[in-house]
Amino acid sequence: MRDPELDRILSNEEEILPSCGFAASVMEAVQREAAAPPPIPFPWKRALPGLCAVALAILSLVAGIILLFIHGAPAQPIPREWLAALASVAAASRNYGAAWILLALLLSFASVKLAMHFASSRMAHYERI
Amino acid sequence: MSAADDEAAVDKVLAGDASAFEALVRRWQGPLVNLAYRFCRDRGRAEEMAQEAFLRAYRSVDRWRREAAFSTWLFALATNLYCSELRRIPARMVALDDVAEPRDPRAIDGGLEQEDQDRAVRRAVHALPSKYREAVILFYFHDLDIAAASRSLSLPEGTIKARLSRGRAILRRKLSRQLVAPLLRKEA
Repeated sequence: MRDPELDRILSNEEEILPSCGFAASVMEAVQREAAAPPPIPFPWKRALPGLCAVALAILSLVAGIILLFIHGAPAQPIPREWLAALASVAAASRNYGAAWILLALLLSFASVKLAMHFASSRMAHYERI
Repeated sequence: MSAADDEAAVDKVLAGDASAFEALVRRWQGPLVNLAYRFCRDRGRAEEMAQEAFLRAYRSVDRWRREAAFSTWLFALATNLYCSELRRIPARMVALDDVAEPRDPRAIDGGLEQEDQDRAVRRAVHALPSKYREAVILFYFHDLDIAAASRSLSLPEGTIKARLSRGRAILRRKLSRQLVAPLLRKEA
């Protein structure tokens, strides 16, 4: 089979007509969309202090680990009260399954970031048009 | 309706008049449903996909930058949606080697009856790997316009040409085998 023959066959595709209620059905969906309340924005103002605290905690943890590697173990051992407090925090977090909650949060965050990355790259294409 | 009318309707939609979108739907429903039909070969599904494309266009009409025609933007959006929809739930398709032989293999003009031959070609197009199939469908949908196909698929023209050439080569090879096999059997 040659190209002109392919061109002839594929250029003469049958045309279909949208059903008579198609436009009305699309407009119904559009009107529903227009009437729907706007999506609730993420409460950045309320979440900001918590996010800052988490970021600060992570940064200080990383800094502490780096300092530990640079200077070696501290000469002065950790005070006994601190150890007791840490132990009680660890016990409480074990009771509440904090490790699993943390893992779930991290996974959720990663998947949301990934989805937003893909969506934004696709939308960037439309915006270029 | 012209491109200027499209733009005027978009302006009204952006100003909050959702009913102005109907003019765009009425103008472009035919092309969008037909494009969807070429992808899925199912009238009901074609209308569902076209409706979703219009809905997405309505949601993101503020992102149309007017550097290209509204139709260009709409076709790119719809093509992207149709391709991803068909990757998610493929149309009922057959492997290229399993494309059924035509019903009536009588030799007319060296092969088959016209209708059977046309059907065999269309089924073979649908059995192509998706990247070639998309290029072939868009090229013929836009009346053999490579530039329009490349804009709809958001790919460079060179890529479309290469995919089109490869897609046609596969079609030629597979269809030649199919169209010749019944004749050989008949001679034997």
